[in-house]
Amino acid sequence: MAVTQISVFAENLPGHLRRILDVLELAGINVHGFLAADTGDCGIVRFVLDQPELGLTVLQNAGHAATRTEVLCVRLPDKPGELARVLGVIADAGINVVYSYSLISTLIAIHVKDIAATEAVLRHQPIELVSQNDMVW
Amino acid sequence: MTSNFFAPEIETASRERIRALQLEKLKNQVAWAYDRVPWYKARFQERGLTPADIRSLADIARLPFTDKQVLRDTYPYGLCAVPLDDVLRLHSSSGTTGKPIVIGFNQHDLDIWSDCVARMVAMVGVTRADRVQMAFGYGMFTGGFGLHYGCEKLGCMIVPAGSGNTERHLMMIEDYKTTVLISTPSYALHMCEVGEAHGVDWRASSLRVGLFGGEPCTPGLKREIECRMHIVCTDNYGLTELSGPGVGGECLHSREHNHIAEDQFLWEIIDPHTGEPLPEGSEGELVLSTLDRQAFPMLRYRTHDLTTITTEPCACGRTHARMAKVRARTDDMLIVRGTNIFPTQVEDALSVIQGVTPHYRIVLDNETGLDRMTVMVELKPEAISDSFEEMDRFRHHVVDRLRQTLLVTPVVKLIEPKGIERSFGKSKRVEDRRAKL
Repeated sequence: MAVTQISVFAENLPGHLRRILDVLELAGINVHGFLAADTGDCGIVRFVLDQPELGLTVLQNAGHAATRTEVLCVRLPDKPGELARVLGVIADAGINVVYSYSLISTLIAIHVKDIAATEAVLRHQPIELVSQNDMVW
Repeated sequence: MTSNFFAPEIETASRERIRALQLEKLKNQVAWAYDRVPWYKARFQERGLTPADIRSLADIARLPFTDKQVLRDTYPYGLCAVPLDDVLRLHSSSGTTGKPIVIGFNQHDLDIWSDCVARMVAMVGVTRADRVQMAFGYGMFTGGFGLHYGCEKLGCMIVPAGSGNTERHLMMIEDYKTTVLISTPSYALHMCEVGEAHGVDWRASSLRVGLFGGEPCTPGLKREIECRMHIVCTDNYGLTELSGPGVGGECLHSREHNHIAEDQFLWEIIDPHTGEPLPEGSEGELVLSTLDRQAFPMLRYRTHDLTTITTEPCACGRTHARMAKVRARTDDMLIVRGTNIFPTQVEDALSVIQGVTPHYRIVLDNETGLDRMTVMVELKPEAISDSFEEMDRFRHHVVDRLRQTLLVTPVVKLIEPKGIERSFGKSKRVEDRRAKL
């Protein structure tokens, strides 16, 4: 159920992110969400893509250092309190969110150590998980 | 202004007397090495030489050169000419393959060494009335102990504070009214800046002389420290393989030169490519031989330092030859915070770390006042992780491994696979952005 996230190792220099995005655009890959934080000189930029496997291949072929990770993807109803509710469920289960970021619309990506266990926790709640197949818009 | 002398008789001896003394000592030194060190004997025999073939100073050119590699090949005691029981101390500098260069001293050698340092310190006007604050690290580095015992021999009071803890140093200057600072020039500048930030009025400070070493001290850097700290900044010449500090020092009349202690060291200037001796006044590589060393005699040691030498009389009254301050080397050795580093050491260290390629770049700067060494390390694809924490842990691991080899803590930047240009020649792997003030 989890979706594939593509992480790219990027030097903290002007133009690096742009070069990554150029590769994706050229391959006709759509970015649904990304996370680029101020993590010092060398960072990791994370992407949720409509075609992650193709994205990984084209990025690696273009010489970028890219890896694949799983994240859970949740669609939130667009109203106050929903983000708190979903993250509250995870917190109540004693699970630590390693990182999380919002995608297009009201989708959020959540990374935890144990994807499967967290997915099970969320499934018991009225929470809409989104699969990779649902990621085509 | 008259300079002070620690050993005026020898420091002002006539050139004839110096040459005669050198020849006599050279003969003894050569015989000493030949008789006691199998390595030297074998090299002499390969050339069909015996100590009796040294009849003039020029005959030294018939002997083979020595260099760092010889000390590495014979590490640790292969060049030792006295029983180990007689060796009182070892000093070392970092080596290129993890093993350092090590030399030993017996009592005779330590006495001569401290004499040479005492002379050099007196040369810049330091006397027994001075109070000397030591900001070199002690330990295997020759600078700390070398200057310590030399100053003690001169009769100075020593405050053996060691390196680091700038605020404590500032307090000691203030409280103990120290007059001489021994440090690297970059540390002196750092101390100056920290002092200024704490409201120290350097004009009113007791400090009057800086004895700098451990790293190159450019005229501009000296000038800057002199203007801001209101002290006379001096530096000197020495290298671990020949005992460390005390090989040569500047006098206050010839600030761009170092007087070589010619009764202890025989100099030659050679063409670094052909190894042929060059006439006095030519620029070339400095080659030094010890003249009275018992534990680790060094004959024709190639320093890789480029300089020119003059025996013209000096206004200070000393007759010993003067070598121009070294501004260039014939190899790619870097000096970072007083530690000798060869780029190949970085390569060696990286070669045993999993997850990185042997490709690297070194950038040196001194934006913060102190030397900073940044090593760009290229990751292998399998080392890429999605976790910042893991990447950071990996980066620290690389820092630790490099520190163990280099004895200097570098800043490490992880670069993506193939992110370091392959076309870099050896020299282009190093970018020295340090301000040459």
